[in-house]
This record gives sequence, structure tokens and C-alpha cells, in this order.
Amino acid sequence: MKEKIGSALIVGAGISGIRSALDLAEMNYHVILIDRAPHIGGTLRQLDRQFPDDHCGMCKMLPLVDRDAASQYCLRKGLFHENIDIMLSTDLVSLEGEPGRFQATLRFKPSLVDPGRCMGCGECARVCPVEIPDEFNAGLTLRKAVYLPVPHNIPNHYVVDEAACIRCGECQKVCPTEAIDLKLESRRAFRILVVDDELVVRDSIKEWLEDEGFSVDMAESGVEAVEKLGKREYGLMLLDVKMPGMDGVQVLKAARDMRPELPVMMMTAYATVETAVEAIKMGARDYLMKPFDIEKLVSIVVQYYQDTESIPERRVDVGAVILAAGFESSDAGLVKDTYGYGQLPNVVTSIEFERLLSGTGPSQGKLLRPADGRPAEKIAWLQCVGSRNLHLNADYCSSICCMYSIKEALLAKKHNGGNVDASIFYMDMRTFGKDFQRYRDRAQQEHGVKFIRSRVHSVEPGASNGSLSIVYSDPAGTVCQEEFDMVVLATGQKAPRGTSALAEVAGVELNPWGFCRVSDFSLTRTSRDGVFVSGSFSGLRDVSESLIQAGSASLCASALLHSKGGELAEVAHERYPVREVSREMPLTALAVCSCGEILERAAGLSGIVETLQKAGLVSEVFRFDRLCTRSDWEDLRKKTESTRCNRVLIGACLPYVYGKKLKELSRSAGLATSLMDVVDIRTPAFPGLDGDKRSVSRHILTAIEMALARLRGVDSLSPVHTEVIRKALVVGGGIAGMTAALAIADHGFHVDLVERSPQLGGNLRTLHRTIEGSSPRDLLERTLSRIEKHPLLTVHMNARVVHSQGRVGRFLTTLEKEDGRGEAIEHGVCILATGGKEAAPRSYCYGDSEAIVTQHELEGMFREGVLDPSRLGIVAMIQCVDSREEGRNYCSRVCCVSALKNALYLKERNPDTDVYILYRDMMTYGFLETYYTQARRAGVIFIRYDLEDRPAVEVIDGRLKVSVLDTVLGRQIILEPGLLVLSTGIVPAEHVREAEVFGLSINEDGFLMEAESKWRPVDFMRQGVFLCGLAHSPRSITESIAMAEAAAQRALGLLCRRELPIGSTVAEVRQSLCSLCERCIAACPYGARWRNEEEDRIEVDQPACQGCGSCAAVCPNGASVILGFRDQQILAVIDAALEQVGG
Amino acid sequence: MAKRAMMEVVDQDPVASLRILFGRLLEDAEIGAVLVAQHLNKGGVPMPALVTDPERFEYADPLAPAFPINAAKIVSRLSRRPAGETVAAVLRPCEIRAFIELVKLKQGNMHDVLLLGIDCPGAFGNTDYARYVEGNGSRSSVDFLTAAIRGKTSTEDGLDISPACKACEHPVPENADVIIGMLGVDVKSSLFLYAGTPRGEELLSKLNFSEIREPEDRRSAVVELLERRIAYRDRMFEKTTEATADLEKLTAYLANCVNCYNCRVACPVCYCKECVFLTDVFDHEPAQYLRWARRKGILKMPSDTIFYHLTRLAHMSTACVGCGQCSNACPNNIPVMELFRTIAACTQRAFGYEAGRSADDEPPLSAFREREFSEVTGGKD
Repeated sequence: MKEKIGSALIVGAGISGIRSALDLAEMNYHVILIDRAPHIGGTLRQLDRQFPDDHCGMCKMLPLVDRDAASQYCLRKGLFHENIDIMLSTDLVSLEGEPGRFQATLRFKPSLVDPGRCMGCGECARVCPVEIPDEFNAGLTLRKAVYLPVPHNIPNHYVVDEAACIRCGECQKVCPTEAIDLKLESRRAFRILVVDDELVVRDSIKEWLEDEGFSVDMAESGVEAVEKLGKREYGLMLLDVKMPGMDGVQVLKAARDMRPELPVMMMTAYATVETAVEAIKMGARDYLMKPFDIEKLVSIVVQYYQDTESIPERRVDVGAVILAAGFESSDAGLVKDTYGYGQLPNVVTSIEFERLLSGTGPSQGKLLRPADGRPAEKIAWLQCVGSRNLHLNADYCSSICCMYSIKEALLAKKHNGGNVDASIFYMDMRTFGKDFQRYRDRAQQEHGVKFIRSRVHSVEPGASNGSLSIVYSDPAGTVCQEEFDMVVLATGQKAPRGTSALAEVAGVELNPWGFCRVSDFSLTRTSRDGVFVSGSFSGLRDVSESLIQAGSASLCASALLHSKGGELAEVAHERYPVREVSREMPLTALAVCSCGEILERAAGLSGIVETLQKAGLVSEVFRFDRLCTRSDWEDLRKKTESTRCNRVLIGACLPYVYGKKLKELSRSAGLATSLMDVVDIRTPAFPGLDGDKRSVSRHILTAIEMALARLRGVDSLSPVHTEVIRKALVVGGGIAGMTAALAIADHGFHVDLVERSPQLGGNLRTLHRTIEGSSPRDLLERTLSRIEKHPLLTVHMNARVVHSQGRVGRFLTTLEKEDGRGEAIEHGVCILATGGKEAAPRSYCYGDSEAIVTQHELEGMFREGVLDPSRLGIVAMIQCVDSREEGRNYCSRVCCVSALKNALYLKERNPDTDVYILYRDMMTYGFLETYYTQARRAGVIFIRYDLEDRPAVEVIDGRLKVSVLDTVLGRQIILEPGLLVLSTGIVPAEHVREAEVFGLSINEDGFLMEAESKWRPVDFMRQGVFLCGLAHSPRSITESIAMAEAAAQRALGLLCRRELPIGSTVAEVRQSLCSLCERCIAACPYGARWRNEEEDRIEVDQPACQGCGSCAAVCPNGASVILGFRDQQILAVIDAALEQVGG
Repeated sequence: MAKRAMMEVVDQDPVASLRILFGRLLEDAEIGAVLVAQHLNKGGVPMPALVTDPERFEYADPLAPAFPINAAKIVSRLSRRPAGETVAAVLRPCEIRAFIELVKLKQGNMHDVLLLGIDCPGAFGNTDYARYVEGNGSRSSVDFLTAAIRGKTSTEDGLDISPACKACEHPVPENADVIIGMLGVDVKSSLFLYAGTPRGEELLSKLNFSEIREPEDRRSAVVELLERRIAYRDRMFEKTTEATADLEKLTAYLANCVNCYNCRVACPVCYCKECVFLTDVFDHEPAQYLRWARRKGILKMPSDTIFYHLTRLAHMSTACVGCGQCSNACPNNIPVMELFRTIAACTQRAFGYEAGRSADDEPPLSAFREREFSEVTGGKD
């Protein structure tokens, strides 16, 4: 039997990495989540609010099912999950083996602060004399060399920035827990030999390196160098090439003989570079050009030093790897010096602007100009900085900048008394996501954000002090100029530093723009089997799309793990016997840690304990010096095994790290975890809080008393679990539905796939080829043949769902077949992929002539071969037909690409065909931009029109006449095309019935409404039901497939469990008190309550309940209770906070 | 179909005429039963009675200036589940408004009830009513009524309608199915009936009333009465606000409370099966009392008095219709109604809500809105 490797490695802990990690962890796979940075959260740690709701909602990603397995607080602060090992400051350095059985080597950047000891008290930063720009605030504020990478992290450990540190040792001295070790000794022990005939060079290098804490010896000639090498051990030799007498090359030869292990770095002037290169062939490691750049020299030496240190490495066996290394903002300085970034302080990047808006930013959320701290009242955004730029190898659109600029403009307008004037200078406003167009329209119409279509030439100092003048040309080519207080550069994205190295290690190919290359019809499969990609590492996307892709990546990873025998987590939520204590008097054992001597000294811990004992609040006390040590913990474990107490309270530091430990304790002591708690007694004694002993002591006493009060009233009964029907129902047999069904069936669960038409395939049947040149037909055939063969798939053709009852994990749905017969299907989850189709045109004389067709019809003609491209003469295409204006005010996102695809195809078949595309904004987001570029190169002519001057189409004697106002030329253009193609966009399928059956909402455009547009794109508020494909919003084939995989992943998170675990904080109804007023039902945001008409009682769907407490808040007499937060408990806690035993 | 109708009064006795009308409801209008206040014991307080026999309206007296209980709770009991027949309930405006609140709380249902509302000139408190009738039977109802609709509610021996009625700005039961109008009408010759809903219209048609115009004096009579009452109410708000301005004053205001909880029993919108103050939540440990006492050296018993009233305010002030039964039920003459109405005015204003106005208004706290109370959240969302 094969050894099962049910674990995955995820490289990058931004939101897509976190999403993938949570997905796999929820399936009970073990996940190793690494990040090069010392924090999780990626870019989002710096962003407070996201479009289109201008809020943050990252926490909505946290598990809804097995909630107790993960931390349940702000994800921007941190994450704990039982099945996820988070390793920060860690790199992947090698990846060997085969899919399903990889050996990955991880290298940890040595940390000078021991996170196990650092409590985040901040004494070190207080004494640190170094001040440098803080990356967290995009360089707008200063930080110390020992600092918190994210000020709001939990837990928050300080780290030392070795490059900035001057090794004064002050922090090491003041650290109360001896967590800092600057390793000054080991630096001193690293001895460097500097060989140069010039004294000045030798001296300055010696000075620089000694400042860094290294020991330096010097030799003024080759001979002396060789002599010194014979006498002492060296860690590194810096060797000049050109010296009188024995030159560098000769010394190198000698050194290779004497000490083959010694790294040698050549130092050379321009004239001898070739010699230096020769030297490398002879074994030198590298060369440095004179004159030296101090920083470069020092960093190289430090690198050598760190290489010699024993850098901790760890080999892990993983079944699959997900690369989620994210992106990096384009360097605004490199982009275009005419924008003045770096010279004009009031020109900022978008990320800097986000920090300016933030409450944790440089001006505490006040929108002030960096230059003079005056309120910024007139602000301009410049789009496409660093993207859509051929010179920077950025022939792509960064996809998100248009939307975030609108968001920033709207957020800015809430500042400075609402007096902010916001203008966005753009080429095309790319509002291609769900509800994005309306967001833009609202910004313009309701909030007065100005949208200025233009080409910006430069940003120059303005007339008044600190103001900026933007010189731009409008669409007609007129040069204009306007003054602003501040300019925000909407910097695009690029592949992050180290991408090529990571790609090499992981063995994946990159695309021409340096991002990870993905396979046809997949957003997540890389060129190496078993290695998947997630988030912006493969291209640029917003939060919701990153999460969809992350779901797709975790699905692929889990499918691999499953097929390789990793098995799905069949753990019937871990059970172990616990004592039944509900009839016992509450007796609490208190375990307190004195943190060495500190708490005794600062608060008189013994006195506190004595007071509590005297008051009869604790029955037993265990005291420890350092509960964070294994031995003390073992001791506690033994003690709790034999205690007669039925509650355990631990007083220590960092309560949030105890999640897993408490489970361990619960198991060995046989006490439910709900009967244990940890209270922070360490923070009140932090230095710098200026508490005298009395007040520190009072704080600690109160904290313990409150925790005791809560624990006394805790419910000791364990919740009932619901069994899961481990089958899925998928509604809709297009590519999304088929993909989702196969993904679930591949994991070993039975799937019923329901399609209302007589055949599977949906829109795939009408498409000719994709813009990348792949064939939807082949995809359809492949998929159909897999569906036919799959033993776990039952397809119901000509069938519709007509009724469904039940709840997450247990549904009973009725299908109605063509002949009117009904069939009842039991299932635990449901995926809706009801699809959509090309809209039928209502305008532009469609129907009046055979020469007027839709893009789909044109593709059909290509497919059937009924169109002769050599005879077309002129082809005109009109974009945004009946869409992006009220009625159907959304972008269908695929039509611009379809138009380009078909235009390029026509040009390819007959370059003499004149193709005109009449458009409003070209929505070629991401790498699709390159096809826009190609089309222009191929001679396709693009004419932009406005809604006020839309094209006019006439059919005169069977001939077409299209007239349009060319805004560049400023005059009417008349075309007489042989073919007019209308890009009408996508409308959702008629799925009102399905929505009703499953109790779901539909938005004003008829698309199904997801639980949350950003953070839960494939979920519904109704648990256990998911969505994907065009039913959600328009998208491409590949995007539909990714979304289907993401939805399948969410469904599998439920199906992989035999029973749904219920969180310890969950609602319950005390029926004897309930008056059936149903206010709790109205208040429940998760639809987890309903009235049982038969028994006339209110029921709680406990697996769906998230313990938010809304029901308990609206219930006047406590008939609705939240376990763990009963009224009695809360009142007792309040009492404990107000009163002092014996005080 | 008649929307407005005039009903002749026989023998100058509107009460007797109404008894005839109630009988007709059972005989001609497919009504299964009529709920109406009756003097069941001669000379006693009229209590609601459910009448199915047209002959048994002999002591019915919905116009008596008595208001022993708010019958909304009784109507809710009658309508919680379908009974198969329609019950016509003859109610005062505050009873209808309380019933509407109960319907929203799923404690009753409008479908099987036909609401007949009477113009309400106000009523005496229970003890005052006992003194007022002194064996006079139903005749005194008409005497009171004719004086009261002219604005005179006080008697020579110094009795007057309750403060709740004096401060009531809803003397007309606008949301009833049929309104029995007396304001601006000579009640000794006729009563003005009009429909507030299509169902009411249907009823009037079944009874073969013919359409008339609204009596000329009615509007001005209503306006005049409202002016008086609003002036009284605002003075009351002012006085109560002052008298309860801080915790110390509030404690003094409620000093005579003995935690009998009569006010919550009498309250028509306090709908809990069991009040939270009677559950184990307030079943404190004996040691807890001692700990509380120790904090200040003294603890008033029974404890939780202020907490009880504040909790009831928090729970019910948004549904308070100001009927005054709380004060009526208080054995120690605490002005409970004044406190509730004062606070309710604020809480209902905060939610843009008026208790009892319409069954279609969403009650506060039933929906969570992301952007509300910017004055509390500092305008940030």
C-alpha cells in the first residue's frame, strides 16, 4: 500500500494563498503555507477597503463549517488553523520528486528575534537608534531597525532588519524576555581578508565592513595575502585583480590550492573586467566593479556571511504545490520621468495613497499632502502607469487599477469635509466585473467623480506652492492643462521579484511578461504537473477573481492528492470521551504562569492567587514559571488529568496561541474544550504602560475574575452533529456544470447532473475557437467522453428542478422530467450552473438584413465554412449593443475579446478586408491587451463612440450604411460594410424557478446573487448551495471552468465530512420561553433559523449557524441563547469587571 | 359599496343602537362572534366578552369610559391560529394599535378578525371608574360621552380621564376596518360609520348602509381635540424628561416600585410567554447579593428594579402605543406610562417608526441596515 501524502505546500500567503490553504485545510489536508515576507496577507495588509462596497471583508473567508478549527477574528491581523502550518520569512529552494510525492526544501531566513519569546512589548523599538522608511506605509513614515512588519498583527513579533541594523546591541540589552540575539559574536568571528595594493581602498572597505560587525584583515600585496591565508581561517577574501607583482589571478590560484572552500570575490576596475570573468571560471565566486557602491558591497558580504551560517532548512513531503507568490507594483520611478514621481512629493503611487487614507497610515487617516501636510482637496488619478506599456514589456492591462482608482476617488471624497474634487485621467475605463459599470456610473453621477479620457503628457510643478500641473491632450488632440493638489499614479502590477528564481526551483514556465504560464482552458495548471498557480502570480486579478482562482488551484491540488491516495479527510470530526459535568457544581482549576519572576515582581501574583482562593472562586491552583516551555506544559497536562475540577482557566500570555494546545489538554484531561479558557495576564505588566504595582495587580485580578465568571456559566453539553448525505446535485450542463460535476465525482462522490435541454455542452457548441487558438469543440468532446465514462455521474437530460427542501448537508430535491415524471434526489450540496447566452440584439436594424449578425452567429459561419472572407470588403463591428447603459447596465466582458478574435481571424484569412470596430471602452483586461495591440498592428481600425453619439445603421436596398462620429477626427464617418457584426453581450438564463426552489436572490440584471461579491464569490448566503459560470456573471470559457472548480471545491469542503461539526459558539432555542415571534428568523443573516410549522417551534440549523448572536440580541426574554454567551454569564462577567473581590 | 354611512340612533341612545348593530353583524354579515365590552356584573367594569348569540348584547357597552384591560392581547389569542370564522372585535384605537404590533410579532393575525374601532374620547382609570359609576349602569356612558366629545372629560367630583388618554394623539382608529365615528357628530341622533379598508367597505355594504359624505364638523372636532392632547403630551414629555434626567432622579421616580411586574402583565405589547426577569437569568446566587451589597455597603431589595424598567424600555418602547395600562395596573401610582411614552417618542423617532400605524411598517431591529445611526457611528461605515 502506498504511503498517503495528504499535504500540500502553498508558496505565498497573500489572500489567494490563504484561500487555497483554508480550502485544503477544511478538507483536513495538512497545509504548509510559506511566505518570503515576515507577515501574511500580502498586499491586502496595506489596504483597508476594497471596491465595490468600499469595505473590508477579509474575515468572510474564514471557515463557515468547522469554525472552531480556525481563529475567528480579523484575517488582516492573523490566522490560525489546526491544519495549517504558517512559515514566514521562508523560501522554497528546491522541489524534487513527482506529482503526489514531492520533496520540497524550505529555507528559513534566520531571525534575530525568537518569536517564541517575543511578546511584542516594544521595548526594543523604543531604544533602537535607527530610523528608516517604513514599507508598511509605503515609505511615508519611519520605523526602527527592529520593528513590527504589520502594526496590527496577532501575534505581533518584532523582527530585526539586518540591513538597517547598526548592531549597537541596545535592543538585546532591554528585551525583558531575552528574545533578541543579534549574534554579534558570530559576525565578529567571520573574518574577511581584503587584498588591494591601494591603501584608500583597503581602508575604506575595512571601515565599512567593521561597521557591519565583521572582522577584517588586510594585505597590500599578493604575497602578503598568501602568507595570511596560511596563518588564519577566513570566511571570505576580497581580491583586487590588478596588483604589482603577484596579481589577483595568481593569488586566486594559490588560494584555490590552499583553501579550496574559501569564497573569493574579485575586485576590478572597468579595464580588467575580462580578467575578472576569467577568474570566475577559475573558481572565484563573483566580481565587484570599482568604484564600489557601499550598499551593494555590504549586502554581498552579508549574503556570503549568511550562507556560511547554518541556515535552517527543512525538507517536507508534499503531494501538491500551489504557487501564490502574488505580484508587485510597477516601480513608478522607472515608468515615465515626466510624471515627476520621486521629484514632486505630492505625486504618489496608488499604494501610497491607500496608506494616506488609512487610519493606521502616516496621517491617521487624514487626507493630507505629503509635501506640506495641508489637506488635499483636488486630486487627480493617472491610469495605466506601468501597464499597457510596450516599452516596459508590459503589453498587458493590470485589470484592477481602473476600479481601485474609482474606489480611491470615492474614499477621498469622504475626507476633508467632503470637499475633495476627484478626476480620473484614463484611456479606457475597464469596468468589466460584476456590477462594476454601475459602480463607475454612481461615482460619476452621484458622487461627481470626473472621468477625463485623455493622454497625459506630464506632471509639472504648479503655480502655487506644492500644487501640480497636469498637461494632457483630450480625445480631439487639444492640449489642456489643469492644476491639482495631489496626483495619484495608478501603478500597474508586475511579476514579483524573485519570480524567475522561484519558477526555476518549481520547474514552471513563465509567460512573455514574466508571470507564471498556465495551460489551455485552465487558470491554474502550470507546465509542471502537480504544481498549480493561484492569484496574481499568473496574471493580474482582483480579490474576487483571485479567490476563484485560488479555489480552482486547491481543487486541482486536492484532486491530485486524492488520486494519489491521499484520500479525503474522512475524519468523522475527531471525537474523544469527555466527562459529563453538567450536573456538577462548577469547580475551577487556575493555572498561572508567572513569566519567570516578572509577574511576581510587577503584580504580586501570589497575592492575587491567594485573594481568589480566599474568595472561593478557584478550587485548585497550579503555578508555573514558564508555561510556554514544553516541560511546564507537560506538567500542567498531568495535573489536569487528575484534577477533580471541571473547569480549567490558564492565566498566561498570548491567549490565541493556545487553540491547538487546549484541544490537546481537553483530550488528556477528558474535559470539553468549552470548559477551558486562557486569559492574558501578561500584557498589563508590559513595561511602558506606566502601571504601578497596585494597578497592574488590579488589572490582572479583574481579567482573571471575568474569565472565571464566564467559565462558571459555560455550557458543558457537546453539540449534536448532523450527518451529511455525501452526494452532489449540479444544475446546468454547460461547461461550468460539467466541470463542477466531474471535479466532485473525481473525488469519489456521486453526482446528479441536471440539464434542461436535450444535450450537454451549452455555449461550447456554438463557439469556433478561442482567441488563444484553442478549440472549444475539442474541450467539449473531451469533457463529454469523461462524463459518459464516469461511474459516479448520473445525467438527467430534459429535466428541471421543481422543488427542494432541507438544509446544508441534507437536501431532498425533486426533478421534473420531460414526460412530467418526477424524481426525488437526496444530496448534501448543490451547485447551480444554470448559465447564460448571447443576448438577442434589439437595435441597429438587426433582422432587417442577413448581413447583420451577432458575434456568435459570425463564429457559427466560420465553423460551418459558409463565409468567404475574401469577398467581404468591409466588416464593421459594433460593441456594447444594448449594454452598459440602463436596461442592461453591465459589461459582458467577453465581447471585446470576441470582436478582436473574429477581426484577427478575418484579417488572417484575408488581410485586405477592412475591419472597423466601433467601441466605447476596449475591455481587454489582463494579457488580452496584447490581442488589442495585435489587432491594431494587423490594421483593424478602432473608432470610439459615445452613448450620446452612437452609430446609426440603415439598410437601403439591401445595402448597409453605418455612420459614426469619429471623436478623434471630430467628424462623421460613413461605412458601407458587407457585414455588420453586433456584440450584444451575455444575458443570464431563465433561472427564476431554480432560484426560488433553493431560496436564492437574483440581481436586477437577472444574474444569481452570490453571498458576497468580493470574498465569497461562489457561495450563496444559503449554506450548502454554490454557483458558477454565466449564472453568476459573464465570463470566458476558461474563467467559467475556474469558477466551476472553485465551486466544486467549496462543495467538497462539505462532502468530505461524514458529519458537519458544529461550532462551540452556536445558537439554541429554549422552547419553554419562546413566544414564536420570529424576530430571530428575520434577524438571522445566515438563514439558519426557521419555524417548524408542524411542531410549532423555532429551529436552528446549527451547522449553518455562525454564532453571530443577532438572534439573541433581538429576543427579548432570552429564549434564543448563544452557547458560551448566555445572559447569566455575560451579567456575571460584567459584575466581575465592576467589583473586586476583597478590593 | 358604501365607504361612509350614517347610522340612526334610536331613543337618543347610541349604546342601545350599537347593540342592535352588533346583533346584525351576527345575523346579516357572516360574522361568527363579536368581541365587545359588556357589563357582566351589574354596575361593574365592562369586560370584553365574546358573543355568538344576537340576543346576548343586552349589557354591551363599548362606550363606557372604562378601560380595565387592553383587549389587544385577547384579540391576539383569538387570532393566533385560524378559527374558521371571522370575529368582529370592537376596540379602542389604542387596542387596535397594540394589536397591530402583536400581529407584527406573529402573536395574532388580521385575516380572521374584523376590527371595529370606536372614536375614543378617553376613559377613567380603574379606581376612578368605580367611583364614577356608583350604580348608574350604562346611562352614565352616554352622559360622559356627550360631554367628552365636546371637550369636557372632568366631573364635578373631580374625576377625570387618565393621563394616558389626555396625552393620546390617536382618538380616531384610522386603521380599523370600520370606524364608528362620534367626534363632530350628534351622538344622540346618529353615529358616523366609515370603512378604513376594503373589508370594512364590504361589511358596510352587507349591512345595506348607503353612502353619505363625511359630517361637516368632524374634521374640525378632531383637529381641536388633537391640539389639546398634543399640548398636554408635550408638557408631559417635558416634565418626565426633567424628572428622570439622571440615574439618581430615575431611581427616585421609580422608588415606590415593588417589582410586582403588574405593568408588564398589563402591557398589551409585552408578549413574552415568560418575562426574562422571571427566568433563571435573574435567579442570582445568594452569595451574589452579598457581593453586590458589599460593593457599596448597602443593596436595595428587591434588586434589579431599575434594570427591570430599563430592560422593558429597551425591549418594548419601540412598540409602545401609549395606552396607559401600565400606570393603570401599578399598585403604587408610579407614572409608568409617562416614562414609557417619553422614551418611546425618542426611540420610535430614531427608527422613523410609529408603533401601531400599519401592519406593513417593518418593526425596528427586524432588519439590520449597514448604514444607519451615523450620529452614533461617527458618520463612518
